[in-house]
Amino acid sequence: MEAKKRLVSPDARRARIMRWLQTLGAVLVTLIMVFPLYWMLVTSLKTEAEVLTLTPTFWPESLQWSNYVFAWNSVDFLRFMFNTLYVTFWNLLIQTVVGVLAAYGFARGRFPCKNLLFLLVLSAMMIPSQVTFIPIYVMIANLGWVDTFAGLILPGTVSAYMIFMLRNNFMSVDQSYLDAGRVDGLGILGTIWYVLIPMCRASVITTSLVSFINGWNNYFWPKILSKSDETRLISVALVKMKNMWEGLAGSGFYNTVMAGVAISIIPVVLVFAFNQKYMLKGYSKNAMK
Amino acid sequence: MKGETAAMNTLRVRVVSDGSAAAAVSDSQRQEAQKSRKPRRRTKYKRENFFEFLCVVPAVFLIVLLNHYPLMELVRYSLTDWNMLKKTYKYVGLENWKWFFTTMDTNHILNSFKVTVIYTVAHLAVIILVGLMCALLLNRMTKSFAFMRSVIFMPHYIAMSSVAIIFIWLTNENYGVFNYILKLLGFGPVPWLSSSSMAIWTLVMVASWRGIGYNMLIYLSAMQGISRDYYEAAELDGASKVSVFRYITLPLLAPTTAFLLVTQFISSMKVYNIVDIMTSGGPSHSTEVLVYMLYQMTFEDYRIDRASVVAIVFFLFLMVVTALTMKWQDRKVNYDA
Repeated sequence: MEAKKRLVSPDARRARIMRWLQTLGAVLVTLIMVFPLYWMLVTSLKTEAEVLTLTPTFWPESLQWSNYVFAWNSVDFLRFMFNTLYVTFWNLLIQTVVGVLAAYGFARGRFPCKNLLFLLVLSAMMIPSQVTFIPIYVMIANLGWVDTFAGLILPGTVSAYMIFMLRNNFMSVDQSYLDAGRVDGLGILGTIWYVLIPMCRASVITTSLVSFINGWNNYFWPKILSKSDETRLISVALVKMKNMWEGLAGSGFYNTVMAGVAISIIPVVLVFAFNQKYMLKGYSKNAMK
Repeated sequence: MKGETAAMNTLRVRVVSDGSAAAAVSDSQRQEAQKSRKPRRRTKYKRENFFEFLCVVPAVFLIVLLNHYPLMELVRYSLTDWNMLKKTYKYVGLENWKWFFTTMDTNHILNSFKVTVIYTVAHLAVIILVGLMCALLLNRMTKSFAFMRSVIFMPHYIAMSSVAIIFIWLTNENYGVFNYILKLLGFGPVPWLSSSSMAIWTLVMVASWRGIGYNMLIYLSAMQGISRDYYEAAELDGASKVSVFRYITLPLLAPTTAFLLVTQFISSMKVYNIVDIMTSGGPSHSTEVLVYMLYQMTFEDYRIDRASVVAIVFFLFLMVVTALTMKWQDRKVNYDA
């Protein structure tokens, strides 16, 4: 017994204690970070009376799933989610088509002023839309596109970041693959579609997913550009819903509001959960360039 | 066709895994290929390059339309007396610029700048320090740690508007759980959003909750890139954990820190959503950040001309600070690893 005990050197024991402390710390941080989301779910399942107690309960007395039905019916959720999906879909489609073509052109083409044009694209990353929104709004107003889907889609039709990422990736593809595609009788577009994109699948998917999530979460442009329920997007609609309930019923309706927020988060969480590998890589990749 | 692409994919993987050596080979191959083909089919190349030029055109058009052209329009607007309610306007020279510099402090513009900078500095300090600490803490490659990492990262992809609504409820002064927990710990209720000295820190807290996970992720992936050799050498020399961190990890992470500083600086200077939803700039202008002010000037006062001046100054400020940071990065952070 004695001998066995001594085999564990003080160093090893200290390392083991450190490992336990690390695990403990990590679990603690995770719990703190997840708490707001936990509280959102718990609140969304409480009754109105339970929401308004001065000593909040950390688990609902009875699970009120009807809050979700109530939140879903209290505003036109389906329309707002459809609107958001519609705008995000078109943004993503245009952004990706325009982005892939431009990235191909910049990576493979040789034409005059190429570097100058590429510099123009890069410099756009330094111009935030929070600075330029006034002229863009005036432009959209002149087109008569305020409060239309076209207006909501226009500001998100191009992403300099996506062009930059894809161009870097396309440049690393060996020319002989593209030549092989051409020899086999594909056109240029066919080569891009059947050779280049499959070979750069990971970065095309990650940049598109990041674009999708940014589009779904966008608040600034929808707030400026949509004036009526017909074109309202989910992020703005949620805030409106919260203000409406607060005006009508004070803090008591936070269970409904939290249910609404939970509903709006679900699509993003699903997209993320199913593509976690791509997403995490996509987010961390830009730091490595 | 499908089989071929699959075959190419496997080939591609092999090329990539070889890293720099393969890249060097492919580069020289490409040059050789280009050299040998150039004289043979010159006309064909010309046509193809025209096609590639065409590929670039839509993107460049949209980018200029949505970025550079509006920037120039801002300069033009700033020289007019354009009120959005009116259809016509005339040029008034530097009138708006004079207005800007003479009434800066009475019009809350200076206050806005101050609030934005305070918010940005505090936000950056929290997300970068806590992000780094989380990265160190969660840097273990097991399944359970991977799960915890993705939980900590989760807030990053939840919309700021949803986050703001959740925290409005959490920080509710009567029924909110934050004040309840503080009461359990023996502290009085905190006026999270209703006190003008507290509101800005509440905003920093909320935004940081959302931002920490991203910074942790970036730091973690940078840490994975640090060669094991350094740590082994340090261990042989008998270095303590603290000095390993101080003299190896931290300096090697400097480029990452610089990257995070630049990108997060710009994105937190642009803060708008959270202010609009949680405080509407109040109480008494204490959280009125620049973009919120710009929005108010444009869509409440309809003074596009004056808003343009503020927007241009804001943009120039961003540019100058970014340029200075990059210069500092070039001088200080060049750590050949």
